Amino acid sequence: MANFDHQSLEHLKKLCRIQCSEEETQDIQASLSQVLDYIEQLNEVNTDNTAPCRYVLRGMLRNQMREDEIKDPFPRDQFLANAPDQVGGMVKVPPILKPGSSQ
Amino acid sequence: MKDLHHLSARELNAAFLKGELSAVKIVETFLSRIEAHDKQIGAFLSTLAPRALLKAESLDKKRSQNLPLGKMAAIPVAIKDNMHIAEEITTCGSKFLTNYKAPFSATAVRLMEEEDAILIGKTNLDEFAMGSSNENSAFFPSKNPWDLSSVPGGSSGGSAAAVAARLSPIATGTDTGGSIRQPASLCGIVGFKPTYGRVSRYGLVAFGSSLDQIGPLTATVEDAALTMEVIGRNCPYDATSMDLPTESYPLSPQLEEGTVIGVPWKFLDQLKPEIKENFTQSIEVMKSLGAKIIEVDLDILKYSIAVYYIIATAEASTNLARFDGIRFGVRSKEAKNLEEIYEQSRKDGFGREVKKRIMLGTYVLSSGYQDAFYRKAQKVRTLIIDAFEKAFSNCDAVMMPVATSGAFKSGAIQDPVEMYLQDIFTVSANLAGLPAISVPSGYDSKGLPLGTQILGPQMCDVAVMQYAYCYEQASKHSRIPGGYE
Repeated sequence: MANFDHQSLEHLKKLCRIQCSEEETQDIQASLSQVLDYIEQLNEVNTDNTAPCRYVLRGMLRNQMREDEIKDPFPRDQFLANAPDQVGGMVKVPPILKPGSSQ
Repeated sequence: MKDLHHLSARELNAAFLKGELSAVKIVETFLSRIEAHDKQIGAFLSTLAPRALLKAESLDKKRSQNLPLGKMAAIPVAIKDNMHIAEEITTCGSKFLTNYKAPFSATAVRLMEEEDAILIGKTNLDEFAMGSSNENSAFFPSKNPWDLSSVPGGSSGGSAAAVAARLSPIATGTDTGGSIRQPASLCGIVGFKPTYGRVSRYGLVAFGSSLDQIGPLTATVEDAALTMEVIGRNCPYDATSMDLPTESYPLSPQLEEGTVIGVPWKFLDQLKPEIKENFTQSIEVMKSLGAKIIEVDLDILKYSIAVYYIIATAEASTNLARFDGIRFGVRSKEAKNLEEIYEQSRKDGFGREVKKRIMLGTYVLSSGYQDAFYRKAQKVRTLIIDAFEKAFSNCDAVMMPVATSGAFKSGAIQDPVEMYLQDIFTVSANLAGLPAISVPSGYDSKGLPLGTQILGPQMCDVAVMQYAYCYEQASKHSRIPGGYE
């Protein structure tokens, strides 16, 4: 089966930027192991000469070119109405640079 | 005249145009039905009473002045709560978006409003449309009006329950792996998933972008066709929207001579006896209408769930990366730095199933595993598309059941793989971009509704609707559940 142990899950949580409670972690680890086991059956299918699907509608994929013009502007107030925190007309976030950092 | 809520959407529109019913009366009737029944069913996350009544008054006025009216005039429509209505809350069934006010309307919503449909509420769903039972809604689960201890299916379970109990004549749904068709089947109504790209996804909160399609849930095939005539339109805001003219859906109860229906009997050999019997009866109905039935080889579909749960979760993990607590949605109050904002907000905001799928999707895309999982799945997806193409070179439509059973009891399925396998007959239409419809086909031994599914080649939405209409008119299985007549 897929090598899906506790350590893999901890790594995955990091990649996903998601924390979970201990109970949730155990449940998710069990579920994922089970689902990955199920998914393994795809190895039975011979795909040696098969190209991966890139777009589902065959013969319909084409570039859609248009003029680069401003339409339907998204007003700042309307955008900020959904922001969790704001200051001076901008989205407020915690500092990401250490004080004294030259970057 | 029949009771107002027994009328189909088309009949309501006709009665309104003739002056037999006012738009206000129609809206008031459905709002009071929601008031009376939805405490038990839980189909709606919110109603839009003031907005709906305002629209109804304006329509009554327009009619009295003989001004032109839209194709959906005075028809109430419930909107699945992962589609935006400007200035209204879109929760997506998630705590993450509890207070998210949509800055614009989804194209499909806007098109219906422009044709004078009346938006009456937002319907419940599995969080971010991830689920087959509605039990993953962060707020409360919807119940099946046929049996309140059973699920309505998912993820468009609120929409299906609302139409089944006639709390709204039409509801919109979204279908990523069966999320319109399976709840339609479990609730005894019609549910249509159009060809990928037929309906614009602009204003729909994305789940699996190569699979998602918006479509109607209705009491009749005619009402699904009417909705498609309005929403099946090219849209410049969705790059995958098909650049083809909007189609009309002329429906005839007469099946075109020489119609060939393919049935993948070998793929269906594990059907439960009562599902098999019900499905065989559906095939007999098509036969009696003159269809020739042939067997088609779609054995590859046994891998469709494995393919689906790789591709859908990979796309979901990518789409849901934007839920970071920075620009919108809920931001964790405890978080002290940027990293913690991401991790804590996603911990608090997402439910367990959503977390699982983001993790699975991230895993199958992660370094070292992408070839083994994601690329492999996209190759098998090619084989699935090939298999359908081959089948459709010999037949006009394929028929299958919609679900493996009628509605199951709430909480009855705990095993994740067993839950995912609920969609074994529906996910392939998404993987291959096909139009597919669920039509009521009778009842199981417990008296709960079942559905039959008709799938057509890409772009053949009108043909699929036409076959479904023939089947519906010849079989007439649709009825209103007890307690809601």
